[in-house]
Amino acid sequence: MSAKRTTDTMVLDRRSFLGGAAAAVLMPVTLGFAAGRADAAAAVGAYIRIDASNTVTLITGQTEMGQGIGSGLAQIMAEELMLDWAQVRFEHAPVNPALYGLPGWGLQLTGGSTSTMMWYAPLRSASAIAAWRLRAAAALTFGGLVEQWTLVAGGNVKHASYGVKTFASVLGKVASTPVPGSAPFAGTKRIVGQRVRRIDLAAKVDGSAKFGMDVMLPGMVFASVVHCPALTGTVKSCPTRASGALAVVNLGNAVGVVASNTWNAMRIASTLQSKITWTLPANPALLDSGSLASAAQALQAAATPANLKVFETAGSPDGKTGTIDATYIAPFLAHACMEVMNATVSVTKTNGAVTLVELWLPTQGQSFVPGTVRSVPGLANLADAQIKVNSMLCGGGFGRKIEQDYVLQAVKLALTVGKPVKLTWSRPQDFKNDKYRPYASMRVRLGGDANGIGGLVYRNVSASISFQQGANPEDTGAVAGAVKLPYAIANRRIEFAPLPTAIPLGYWRSVGESYNTFAIESAIDELALALNQDPIDYRLRMLGADPRASRVLQTLKASPRYTGMAAAKRGAAFLKGFNSYVALALEIAPDNGSRIRVTKAHYVIDCGLVINPDAVEAQMQGGLAHGLYSALYNRVTFANGVPQVQNFSNYRVLTARDMPQVTVDIIEGDPTTTMPGGVGETGVPCVAPALANAYHRLSGTRVRELPFYPGATMSED
Amino acid sequence: MAQISFKLNGVAKTVTVDSPETPLLWVLRDQLGLTGTKYGCGIEVCGACTVLINGEPEKSCDASIGEVAGKSVMTIEALKTDPLGARLQAAWLEHQVPQCGFCQSGMLMAAFGRLKAGESRASTASSLSNICQCGTFQRMKEAILGLPGVA
Repeated sequence: MSAKRTTDTMVLDRRSFLGGAAAAVLMPVTLGFAAGRADAAAAVGAYIRIDASNTVTLITGQTEMGQGIGSGLAQIMAEELMLDWAQVRFEHAPVNPALYGLPGWGLQLTGGSTSTMMWYAPLRSASAIAAWRLRAAAALTFGGLVEQWTLVAGGNVKHASYGVKTFASVLGKVASTPVPGSAPFAGTKRIVGQRVRRIDLAAKVDGSAKFGMDVMLPGMVFASVVHCPALTGTVKSCPTRASGALAVVNLGNAVGVVASNTWNAMRIASTLQSKITWTLPANPALLDSGSLASAAQALQAAATPANLKVFETAGSPDGKTGTIDATYIAPFLAHACMEVMNATVSVTKTNGAVTLVELWLPTQGQSFVPGTVRSVPGLANLADAQIKVNSMLCGGGFGRKIEQDYVLQAVKLALTVGKPVKLTWSRPQDFKNDKYRPYASMRVRLGGDANGIGGLVYRNVSASISFQQGANPEDTGAVAGAVKLPYAIANRRIEFAPLPTAIPLGYWRSVGESYNTFAIESAIDELALALNQDPIDYRLRMLGADPRASRVLQTLKASPRYTGMAAAKRGAAFLKGFNSYVALALEIAPDNGSRIRVTKAHYVIDCGLVINPDAVEAQMQGGLAHGLYSALYNRVTFANGVPQVQNFSNYRVLTARDMPQVTVDIIEGDPTTTMPGGVGETGVPCVAPALANAYHRLSGTRVRELPFYPGATMSED
Repeated sequence: MAQISFKLNGVAKTVTVDSPETPLLWVLRDQLGLTGTKYGCGIEVCGACTVLINGEPEKSCDASIGEVAGKSVMTIEALKTDPLGARLQAAWLEHQVPQCGFCQSGMLMAAFGRLKAGESRASTASSLSNICQCGTFQRMKEAILGLPGVA
């Protein structure tokens, strides 16, 4: 992110503006930054495009994958431009982290529930500046002073003498207006905070929405892959052709098959498996879930495991943790996006040299794509302008589509074949070659009295993502959900011992909180019961210093949704994370003989400033579903590196029958002081502990190892 | 090579395929460019590829193009041409059902096929077996249960 790059980009856009059709104007707006970050070198921009029909499009670096981010960010823009919602659109930006990267991270990626919280302030400022410039452009176009022109709802400006004019009618002068450092906000709440209909939905009910998998190009061929049955294995030798295949390509970590349609490619790839020889991983014990569980157990028992990191320490907890000593286990999980990994790539050569690589991707990780392309032999020297990324809708992401493995394969295939290639993994290949949610063993030692926790010693032993990547061996992500707890715990020590493994790991919706919150919120429930305390009241006694946390739990406790659940079948959990506060209570009932089902679920969430309450509710409903099927049914085990999962048939997920009614109370923060918090991941972490807490009430049995029902299949009911 | 004739979204269609074993799903997607019908699992579990064949909801990943010869196929792209289909789509929008949207074509076609055949709203809403990893089931149920003019 250099000053030069930012300047060049602005110049480029100014040129394209001057040279472009007068009807469509790409309007550059400089984003404001929080105090202390006024450094021009760090400045990024968003783009607002206004066309001749007065349609206003937000061009965003954030990927729409069902969380509603395109519409949510467009609401922020529409608010300050006083647009009517019907005239608003969004589209995915090209790759340019300097312009479209997350403010604060500088990376163009979508994850960690950061999109709204990082973009709200700069996008709002930028939109207000854009509104001011449109008023200034009206003055230049028709006369009068900028102060005499006011914004009028519907994408218009108005002057006492000149009347109402559309934004479109003043676009010719926008480039001639100065860019103020700041501009007043409309502040009308016409659109922010409203239940507007998400822009992308209409195309999602008539089949016209274009996901990565739906890209069609002239002359395209279709490909699929087969990987080594054991994770991290590589191709030793493979056939160079196969009957019915247009090409068979050694991709290093897999063999690609190119054919006339995807079915042929998948079918031939599957039959090739027996004809490929693989270099198997050197140490299969690091790829075996049984061995890893034993290793984790030993690390929990050791006084000082290798590479032990103490993340948080206060007071002297030792000797004050005598009530509970429990170890909780969360398994490896797959992402299982409905849309399998896929990528479409077209390579253009001029005089035998590659001059353009164009990609159509379902991706959450735009920042990493140019590096992926340049890692292919022969493409190292491509300039940014020679790598064009079209970000398509993602049919689910959950963290999986940050990864670049499928992108790399498609680039290699297109380069080899010399035609546009669409690579689509089969579902079994997708399940068997995931970047799995880490396995975690969490030992919680707790003591206390009726007033609260007297001592907490927590040790997370997990197959850490960043430890594996060597980037950040301390891995705050591994203990997220166990550190910075909202509860007042004077004596505590939070430890992390990395579990060495070679199983490929990746970020999974709600990351560290997806397992640490299970352990913490289960253990607090266990302690409260041991001390004969109501688990909600007990938490509240430790939350006195955090009014937002207290209010969320008090709201839950007072809700008829909560009191209406039978106490003998009810469980609750609480999360402070992703800059939001979430409480969940659910009620369960016996189901299908030995199993349970959730009959009711109620969330209370304070996610600060709310952009769209309907979208918040949708994410809580979806988070409940995601957390529920994971906690009840899912784990991936590995036998010497071979994932023991095939397809949805033996990786059971939710269907309509098992979906309870989910209700949501949203506590809106004070809009003058509260920023938006995260939403997309916050519905997930509380589900497993609330379920375990409810199950203990119902059955007297404490579930400390997930899932509840390993080995469940889809066809059991 | 084989030539297969069938009716697609009300229009007579003849396709030339490598093999009559090719699943209808991939003829629709790769050959005819009707990408609204999705690949999800390939084993008739997830329902993302659901279309109507002679009015019945079927998983197109398991229906070979050869089996479809002479039959009538309806895909998501034609749902709006049926008044009930259009009402179902409107209800989906009213309740803001889709999240990522990938499973929704199959979900809509499965619901439409059942409702069109006279199955009740309550039975349809509670027993659709389609998988949705975003967890849109609650809104799907609400959209179906709220459909006007259906039993």
